[in-house]
Amino acid sequence: MTAPLDIAYRPRGRFRSNRIGSHSSSEVGGFGVFRDQTPFLRHPDARRIDVRATLRDPFGETYVRRFEQRQAIDIYAIADLSASMAFGAKFDLMAELCGTLAFSANRVGDRFGLIGCDHALRQDAFIPATASRSLALRAAERLRAARCSGEGARGFLDAAAALGASRRLVFLISDFRWPAELTNGVFAAFAHHDAIPVAIVDSNEERPPRWGLLELVDAETGARRLTAMRPSLQARWIEQERRRLDEISRLAGGRARPPIIVRDRFDALEFGRELAAA
Amino acid sequence: MSGFGVETLWVLAFLPFAVAPLLRSALRASRFSAIDAAPRDGVSRAVAVGLKALGAGAIAASILAAAAPYRAGAEHERIGEGADIVFLIDRSGSMNETFAGRTPAGSEESKASAAKRLLQGFVDRRAHDRVGVVGFSTAPLLLMPMSDHRTAIKAAIDAVDRPGLDYTNIGRGLAMALAMIGSGERDRSRAIVLVSDGAGVIDPRIQDDLRAEMKKANVALYWLFLRTAGSAGIFDEPDPEFDTPQAAPERHLDLFFRSLRVSYRAFEAEGPAATEQAVAQIDRLERRPVRYVEKRPRDELSGLVLGIALGCAVALLLAKLAEVRPPTREQGA
Repeated sequence: MTAPLDIAYRPRGRFRSNRIGSHSSSEVGGFGVFRDQTPFLRHPDARRIDVRATLRDPFGETYVRRFEQRQAIDIYAIADLSASMAFGAKFDLMAELCGTLAFSANRVGDRFGLIGCDHALRQDAFIPATASRSLALRAAERLRAARCSGEGARGFLDAAAALGASRRLVFLISDFRWPAELTNGVFAAFAHHDAIPVAIVDSNEERPPRWGLLELVDAETGARRLTAMRPSLQARWIEQERRRLDEISRLAGGRARPPIIVRDRFDALEFGRELAAA
Repeated sequence: MSGFGVETLWVLAFLPFAVAPLLRSALRASRFSAIDAAPRDGVSRAVAVGLKALGAGAIAASILAAAAPYRAGAEHERIGEGADIVFLIDRSGSMNETFAGRTPAGSEESKASAAKRLLQGFVDRRAHDRVGVVGFSTAPLLLMPMSDHRTAIKAAIDAVDRPGLDYTNIGRGLAMALAMIGSGERDRSRAIVLVSDGAGVIDPRIQDDLRAEMKKANVALYWLFLRTAGSAGIFDEPDPEFDTPQAAPERHLDLFFRSLRVSYRAFEAEGPAATEQAVAQIDRLERRPVRYVEKRPRDELSGLVLGIALGCAVALLLAKLAEVRPPTREQGA
């Protein structure tokens, strides 16, 4: 098995943790990018005394250079294990994405955790944030072993509660076929994290047949609906799917990054580019 | 009014199976991530309801057909315009001649054919009459008993222009016509139409019987006299010394009919046109509302019901053929 490609990511916003890592944080320290100068008494680090600034000061104050401490952030993948994710290749895409994220996170020294949820948290797909490479890399395996069977995605709200208050980088991986009020609630719950919605889309869902009778069974509720496909309805269907993604972006606005859409195929490079842009 | 029934009732015990299509869909279902992806659509909902109805209909109709349904026969009483009419038609030899008294040649029409043509038209115009046809020459001939069967009546009238024979014995013909028309329902208008080209002497003994019968039967009498050119007419008054039933039978028959004290009209026609007028007049006079009974035989409905079942099944088959599935990964790009 070839090693997955790295995904380069950068947390947004100020976070602090107690582990040195590779992301610029709001913590100040003695290494990294220069941040500011401050009186010695506020930051009593004798190794970082700024001689030039101290000599220049007419009042004889001693100054110390402060640097932005680079720290590690916890990365969580919150995976939607409701039954709708079993359609097409969505589940495989999700597992692949989790595996790549776990690999990338460990490479830069971040901790990776996995929370699977459907209508509640799923214990069989839960890995707390860990720096252990082997455990993190097993996340994708754990995820693949889990079955998509749940109904609804209210577990995302529980996951937000489980994450606690400190800021983390959170990938919300789902197809987001949720009621608008749940989507809204989830984005609100994750607002103090750096949340990145990843909408997994199977293009077969967006490509209904032109003519014919289509009897659909909802993967989650088991409800049936007969659809008499015809060109006008096909156009409405495609339009509705397009609008659905727009709606997710709109709901995410201000609280989460704009959603990254993974359609049919997961390309780590492409994903990294979109992540940087998002 | 009309009873519906089935031959084998116990088969209907299977009818509850007809709800099966309501419980399960006949179409192969495709699992989909969320059915809300499919836009809500009125046509689709109508199709769904329609398919369920077709399924239930197909099963119910098949079971019903197996039970052999029928609609019981019934008699409908209807009101129409018409009468009971007996055509009493002269079949004596002279009817084969034209109005000019010759053997018909070329396009000439014999009196019998003219009478036939006009009576056919008469029958055609009057849909609700019951008609009987009696021919007479020396002896009366029952051509057609009272009937409302159009085809039979017309066939009987068709037979009128077969070559006639012998003499004119009106008395016995009238007696047969009267016997045929009988004393039917009171509210029906009844008439005897005598079509002849001559007259005969009615035996005085029969005369009394006829008089009594006519009174009893209360029928209207129309005499359509097809007068041959040159012969004596109904209304000719001969010299008093020749004014006997033997010398002027037409006049005396007319007098006899008048003495019957029933509704009586005589029409003297000297050609096809005049005959037509006379027939039209009779047509006008004999129009009274009548009640008539229409019989409807018992109808087997199995075929119809099976047809419905087949129609439903074919529609379902078409729906099944129109069934599609969402594209899958293998088919997709």
